Amino acid sequence: MNKTYISFVAGLFALALFTLPGVAAAADSWGLPGEEEVRFDAKVTDVLCVLSGDCPPDCGAGKRVLGLLKADGELVLPVKNGGPFTGAVADLLPYCGTTVTADGLFTINYGVKTFAMQFVKPQEAKWRRANQFVKDWAAAHGLDAKDKKARRWFRNDETIVEIIGEQGKLGLKDKGIEP
Amino acid sequence: MLRVRKYLLYSAAIALSALLMAPWAAHAGQPKRVTVTGEIIDPWCYLSDIMWATGSAHHQCAVWCARGGIPVGILGDDEQVYIVLKMQNDPDVIGHHGILRMQSNEVVVEGDLYERDSIKYLAIDTIIDDHGIVNHSHDEFDIQPFGE
Repeated sequence: MNKTYISFVAGLFALALFTLPGVAAAADSWGLPGEEEVRFDAKVTDVLCVLSGDCPPDCGAGKRVLGLLKADGELVLPVKNGGPFTGAVADLLPYCGTTVTADGLFTINYGVKTFAMQFVKPQEAKWRRANQFVKDWAAAHGLDAKDKKARRWFRNDETIVEIIGEQGKLGLKDKGIEP
Repeated sequence: MLRVRKYLLYSAAIALSALLMAPWAAHAGQPKRVTVTGEIIDPWCYLSDIMWATGSAHHQCAVWCARGGIPVGILGDDEQVYIVLKMQNDPDVIGHHGILRMQSNEVVVEGDLYERDSIKYLAIDTIIDDHGIVNHSHDEFDIQPFGE
């Protein structure tokens, strides 16, 4: 068996992993407290809508806290996605009101259960890595999401630079305390 | 006559059940008015224990996370985490620049508390007080993460 053949088979296997639903996109462990690797179906919903009945048609256009409502009634809170210092709202917003399959980690700590979503699969579509915030940030800055500046978006974002400039890294610049 | 009596009996039973169930049904969706004193935090870093996640040591990271679309929380004096759904009646809390500027501040707020599946959600209508950053955790923990 020559090297080219082995590479070809390995390539096919890798391709299958990323395209076959049910096989691909298994969550990576992050060593979180009470961590559980999970995959479940749920409806993308605006949390305030579920709790109070205040329901804008577009789940709040990305400005509201979004949740995943399972068929058994459990409301899961996705606080994190797979990107650096980023949440899952941008990943879920396009699927507002529809059912998706979410893959990631539950973590239970201090009696609170939250969800870190690493992958999402809309109905009849392929798995997507949950890192939409960085993709959107990169696109807004004319960059590729793999660009170093986009990967370190939190050091380069204009709003953050402005706020940290005003407040200092410790938030105590107005009291004359800086690192 | 017997049929009428049976009908009345069934009707009475249904009415009684409805009366008994009504308060529970209403309570399920009803928030509780609360006043919470605590620090505005990034709930992900706090709940995941991935770093020292409160006070001045974590201020910069809390701004990053709020800007990155992670919901904002309040770590109450009662050691409970409250996920903020509204701030001063505004439900647009994700990435909100005003909230970014309040990260790590100790606040006293009033609002509606909803509890669902182990999570406390807070719809804040009033900020009663804002004490700024009182938790000077950098004395002990430096800047988290990365030390810069």
